[in-house]
Amino acid sequence: MSTKLRIALLAGFLAFASNLLIIGFIHFQTRDEIVSALRRQVTEQSAVLGQVYRSGGLPALTKEVSEAAAEGDPQVAIAILDRDGKPMAGNVAAVDSPSALSLGGARSAVLRMKDETSSLEATVSVSPLSGGKWLLTGRTVSAGISLRETLERSLLVALAVSVILGLLCGLIIGQYVDRRVHDIVRVADRISGGDMSGRVPLSGANDSFEELSRQINHMLDRISTLMGELRMLTDSLAHDLRSPVGRLRAAADAALAADTPEERDQMLGAIIRQSDSLMRILTTALEIARSEAFTSQNQFSWFDPAQLCDELVEMYEPVAEEAGASIRLDRGPIVVPVFGHRQLLAQALSNLIENAIKYGSSGGEIAVLVHDEDSTLKLGVTDRGPGIPEERRDEARRRFGRLDPSRTAEGAGLGLSLVQAIAHLHKGELALFDNAPGLVALVQIPVRTDRKEAPGRPPLGLAL
Amino acid sequence: MGRKILIIEDDAETAAYLARGLSQEGHSVEQAANGQDGLFQATDGSFDLIILDRMVPVLDGLSVLKALRAAKIETPVLILSALGSVGDRIEGLECGSDDYLVKPFSFAELLARANALLRRSEARVTSDPRLAVGDLEIDLLSRTVKRGGRKIDLKPREYLLLEYFARNEGRVVTRTMLLEQVWDYHFDPATNVIDVHVSRLRRKLEDGFERPLLHTVRGAGYMLEA
Repeated sequence: MSTKLRIALLAGFLAFASNLLIIGFIHFQTRDEIVSALRRQVTEQSAVLGQVYRSGGLPALTKEVSEAAAEGDPQVAIAILDRDGKPMAGNVAAVDSPSALSLGGARSAVLRMKDETSSLEATVSVSPLSGGKWLLTGRTVSAGISLRETLERSLLVALAVSVILGLLCGLIIGQYVDRRVHDIVRVADRISGGDMSGRVPLSGANDSFEELSRQINHMLDRISTLMGELRMLTDSLAHDLRSPVGRLRAAADAALAADTPEERDQMLGAIIRQSDSLMRILTTALEIARSEAFTSQNQFSWFDPAQLCDELVEMYEPVAEEAGASIRLDRGPIVVPVFGHRQLLAQALSNLIENAIKYGSSGGEIAVLVHDEDSTLKLGVTDRGPGIPEERRDEARRRFGRLDPSRTAEGAGLGLSLVQAIAHLHKGELALFDNAPGLVALVQIPVRTDRKEAPGRPPLGLAL
Repeated sequence: MGRKILIIEDDAETAAYLARGLSQEGHSVEQAANGQDGLFQATDGSFDLIILDRMVPVLDGLSVLKALRAAKIETPVLILSALGSVGDRIEGLECGSDDYLVKPFSFAELLARANALLRRSEARVTSDPRLAVGDLEIDLLSRTVKRGGRKIDLKPREYLLLEYFARNEGRVVTRTMLLEQVWDYHFDPATNVIDVHVSRLRRKLEDGFERPLLHTVRGAGYMLEA
């Protein structure tokens, strides 16, 4: 069943139910009112006739009753009854309910009028006269009832009309909802069909549909970006894996064709090295994707970034020395603890340090920098090597963006893009500056100030 | 001496490869092809080491691990996984595993790690504050090192490196193990940073002595042996 139809039916049903409720209320309310009006009239008439009886006695009353009966108002029932309830005067032929002949206020009774064949419901009042006779005054209910029936008929018509109107309103609302939802469905269809360019049209109204559409569009933008990056990643992966896989295959071929066991061992060693390097490329590419999906944020903890930098300087000092460079820690006056992923930040810094050693050690001086300025933590590495020209810095941060066009050196150019992804994970940025000469690579992370616990981990085993 | 090892791995080829290799090393090996059977066997038998694949059917590896640790079964667990990012490794270690090895791995790396874990569970019993490898003596309390009675000055990190080698005396220790255990980092460095540290340590240990102590094992790593 379509949404439109369901909404229309629901609206129709609601109109029906609410009108039914109102009609029921009117039905019972009017019945009560009619009956109590009749009772009032009956009681009044009874009082008037009582007055006549008291001043003029039975003859005056009989005359009055006969005159009233002679007026011929079909609503008025009036009679003087004998001891047994038989009418002596008036327009009543018989009283069918004997219980009516007792004292008390107005009540219901069933009467047969003179010149009538069927009995009628009436509201009557009975008062005693001398000699066991009774005075009966009453009003037949039929007139009031017919009024009520007219009312009820028109209410039923109103009910039918309201159901139709309800259905119509429902159809209009349904049409509106259906159209708005359909806009969204159409876009979703296009997306499922592989066309990511579709967006939900915005109407400019400030309603929930607009909000929903905006959210969906926002989500689609984000997905498109991620998919674009993913596509670039897979394209570049496919491209960049081709050459190591080719080398791997060549080494395997060479191992097969090897003449001596020594030669074969050497080739097998090369195969293992090639596959390790392939694994490293894949792991790094995955690592970047993971960092960007923010899945590692649950592994965040408080730690001292200066201590981390110190450890890394100590770790890379011998490597830098072998490459003919020196490495030192450049630490700001105050460095606050940072809430982050210690392992990933260590990896980011070590990537920067290894880059500096690989490309910048000709300049001699490498510094690992940790500064805390304007609630931004700056972690990074400076070198005095050739640096990266300004127009190529964006390219350097891109995945597989290797500035070495020959692509002979080890690595797949994922280093800086991993650092960038890790910076993003910490809501920060990787910035590259000119060190005149050389390169400054800085991971800039906003510092959280809501620290509650002590820094995460003690130094490894001993004070370093 | 042979020890009892449980392999929980659904890939029959890998499981058979591991079982064959570990049996050749003199260990007795049992296998489980899914997490539930593995958990059952692990709670039942008294194994010295469990090698656990992270992605096994019925009950995944991390759930098996958590269930084991919740049941206070402290058998060393080595996780094998194709999920190799830093975050994955740390997640595995935080769930209570003792080591984490990324697929594909070389058997030498696996054996080295398995032996280190078996060794560690043994070493818990002894409380000797000294380690000796040939004429090399390490005092764990004062953190001093002597060889042939002569004191050797080591930097703090070099000392940690040596202590780790000595605790795994006669066993192959891989570069990744050193990076994880001595430096507590879980990434693959692109440079030969570990080798440089090891060769510095080697120079300090061996300069002026005839017998080499710290050996390079081709295709695997290093080994400290008198």
